[in-house]
Amino acid sequence: MDRLPQTSVQETPTPDTGSTLPKLSGWRQYKALLRKDIAQEFRTKEMVTSMGLYGMLVLVIYYIALSQTGLGFDITRIAAGLLLLMIVFTSMLGLNRSLIHEHDQGQLEALLLAPIDRPIIFLAKATTNLLFLVVVQLVVVPFFYVMFVAGSLTIHLGEVTPGPWWMLAIALLLGSIGIAGVGTLLATISVNTKGRDFILAVLFIPVMFPLLLVLVSAVNAVILGGSGYEATFWTMCAAAMAFNAVMIAAAYALYEFILGV
Amino acid sequence: MRTELKIALVLAIVGGVLTTAAFVMAFTTAAMQHHNTVVNAPGFIDTVYEIAPPQLQPNPPDGTVNYHNPWFSQKIFYFHVPIAQLSLLVFALAALFAGMFLKTRDPKYDIRSRIGMETTLIFTIGTMISGSMWTRASWISSWGEMGRVLLSEPRLVTYTVMLMFVVAYFVLRKSVEDEEKRASYSAVFTILAFLIVPFSFAYTRLTQQIQAHPTDVLQQGMDTSNLIPFIVAIIGMMALGYAIYILRVAEEKKRAQLEHIKEDIEDKLATLAH
Repeated sequence: MDRLPQTSVQETPTPDTGSTLPKLSGWRQYKALLRKDIAQEFRTKEMVTSMGLYGMLVLVIYYIALSQTGLGFDITRIAAGLLLLMIVFTSMLGLNRSLIHEHDQGQLEALLLAPIDRPIIFLAKATTNLLFLVVVQLVVVPFFYVMFVAGSLTIHLGEVTPGPWWMLAIALLLGSIGIAGVGTLLATISVNTKGRDFILAVLFIPVMFPLLLVLVSAVNAVILGGSGYEATFWTMCAAAMAFNAVMIAAAYALYEFILGV
Repeated sequence: MRTELKIALVLAIVGGVLTTAAFVMAFTTAAMQHHNTVVNAPGFIDTVYEIAPPQLQPNPPDGTVNYHNPWFSQKIFYFHVPIAQLSLLVFALAALFAGMFLKTRDPKYDIRSRIGMETTLIFTIGTMISGSMWTRASWISSWGEMGRVLLSEPRLVTYTVMLMFVVAYFVLRKSVEDEEKRASYSAVFTILAFLIVPFSFAYTRLTQQIQAHPTDVLQQGMDTSNLIPFIVAIIGMMALGYAIYILRVAEEKKRAQLEHIKEDIEDKLATLAH
């Protein structure tokens, strides 16, 4: 926070431009907002730890739920669904937290008072959310793999031939982009309501429904492999990209109306 | 205001008469569809037992029955399809009003958009009730199989998602106190929800495992005797839907007037007390 005034001082005009302050360029505003969120996170470490811990707890719950399935049960068949479920839960928690701060400490009002373009607030917030989601997934997804997929793969060797790991990364990244983009809009709505996290869940799940559907299909194709899995994977990724493009454009355009009041 | 109510009354009567006429025609004049009106996927039993007269009932369900003379189930077509089409139309109108609200900030459009969503709720529930009747008669042998059909068919999934949206919309409205915020949040959410509908349809189809919803009737074209009750039902339900809409708008106006009068009275009482 303390660096912010400095940056704005640096950007203040040279005296000869007159009394009116020229606006910062969009890119600089974006960078400043990004820096603010990341600096805040480095200090409190609240978002990443709470999301990561929550993700781990979901894994524990999976372990309990699957504890009676026995060795004959091939978890890889349902691993895609479990993985996406974990990501949905952790991201809902994170989205909610990311804006509760802004709201409760009056940061959002301060941002609105500052001469910053509103779409830039959206882009910066969505980018930081995406960043935190990716960081959390980098930690939690390997744990998920070790706990549930790796063991099952050795037992059911030959039945499943998983695709390369970077394909999984692409699918999860596409998912995170969609979740962060549209989720930021929904979280800004829900943080201003009485129900907050409950309202976020009610709004978030139906909106994310098509994206989660194709992502489960894509991740499933990678984990199970088999003949022609690449075609399925790329079709589903294209579908996810189309969803992201349309919905993030809509969220970008509509964000102004949420902040405006 | 008076003329609006008169129009609504006339529309409600006309709609009621037309829908009833379509109902009667569906059972009397409409010809039976004999050519593949129902898809019989392996394991699915096209059954009308317990509903149709005994002489029209198929053989006991042993998994191999291929019954091509649906007696009762095809009658639902004349109601289910119009209701479904109208629910989408009303949803589109609600989204349009939501967009107009965001553009003009006129609370009138917020009320219209909300009433559009209320009408969508009624029509979506109507679609789901009539659809599950059809499902029971055409695809599944017990209600227990409903889940399998529900999670695999684009139309059913889209409607389930749409119902979730409409419910979420009202939950959202309930939890925002500030009127202006409530209006713009719900308008934004309506537009977002309307954009999701084609996605959820297309993506369910992309990822689905089985195809079961009957579409042959619409693709193969209909007999005149089938088409007439179908169109009559569409017009009747449109009239009913519009009547509901006008009545609700009028009610909301009256309610606003009442609130205004109440405030006036309270003000006057306060000044009298002083």
